[in-house]
Amino acid sequence: MSFFGNTISNLEKSLDYASLKNQTISNNIANADTPGYKAQQVAFKDVLNSEMNNGFQTKRTDARHIDFGSDTAQQSFRIVSNTNTTYNHNGNNVDIDKEMTELAKNQIYYQGLVDRLNGKFSSLQTVIKGGR
Amino acid sequence: MSIFNALNTSASALTAQRLRMDTVSSNIANADTTRATMNENGEYEPYRRKLVSLEAKTPDFQSFLQKASGKSSSPGQGVRVSEISEDQEPFKLVYNPNHPDADQNGYVQLPNVDPLEEMVDLMSATRSYEANVTSVNATKSMLLKALEIGK
Repeated sequence: MSFFGNTISNLEKSLDYASLKNQTISNNIANADTPGYKAQQVAFKDVLNSEMNNGFQTKRTDARHIDFGSDTAQQSFRIVSNTNTTYNHNGNNVDIDKEMTELAKNQIYYQGLVDRLNGKFSSLQTVIKGGR
Repeated sequence: MSIFNALNTSASALTAQRLRMDTVSSNIANADTTRATMNENGEYEPYRRKLVSLEAKTPDFQSFLQKASGKSSSPGQGVRVSEISEDQEPFKLVYNPNHPDADQNGYVQLPNVDPLEEMVDLMSATRSYEANVTSVNATKSMLLKALEIGK
C-alpha cells in the first residue's frame, strides 16, 4: 500500500536484523569462556539490498502466478560461524573487544531505527490531522 | 522466538560465571585443608582443586525445526556448566613433622591449589561477568526502546 510506502517495512526488517544480531552477540559474550565455541555472526547481504528485491518485479501473465520478489523478501537472515580462526588455546574464537563494540553499535543502530520509525509515524499523524 | 531470548542467554552466562567465582572461592578457602575426603583405606585425603567446565547450550527442538523448514536460523541459547571436575594433579608435599597428618617421613600432603592460578581464574570470571552485565543492559535498553514505537 502506497500510503505507508516502503520506509516502514524497511525499518521493520532492519529492526528484525538488529534484534537477531543482539541475540547473537549476547550468545557470543555468554560463551566467551566456553572451550571450542566458535563465534557466530548474522550473515547480512545488506538488509536494504534484500529490501530492494521487494521492487523486483517478475513478468506475470496471470495474476495467480507467484511473484519472485515478495518471496525473497520473506527470507530471514542467516547465522554463520567462522570456524577457521582460534584466538584462545581452548579453541574459542570470541573476540570480546569486537563483540562489545558490536553490541554498542547495534544498540545505537536499534535506537536510531526506532526514532526514525516514530518520526515516520508522527509525520503520518501530521498529515492525518491536516497539519493541525 | 521469544523477545527475552537475549536476556535469557545473558542470564545463563551470569549464572555460570557466578558459579566459577564460587568455585574459586571454595578452592582458595580450602588451600590448606588436609582432611577433605576419606579414601577407601579410611585415610583422610587433602582437598582437590575443583574445575568448572562450560559448554554452549545446544539449540532447542524449536530452533532445529525452524532450521529444517528453512524459516530462520536462531543463535544459541547461552552457556551452561557441563560438570565440576576435580583436578588430578598430584598433591603438594611439604616437610612438617609436627603436623598431625604427616607421614612417617615427616611430609604432609597439601591440596593441589595454587592461589595464583585461582586469582587469575577469578579475574577472568569477574571480567566475563561484567561483560554479560553490559550485554543485559544493552538488551534491556533496546527492549524499552521498542516499547516506545508508535508513542
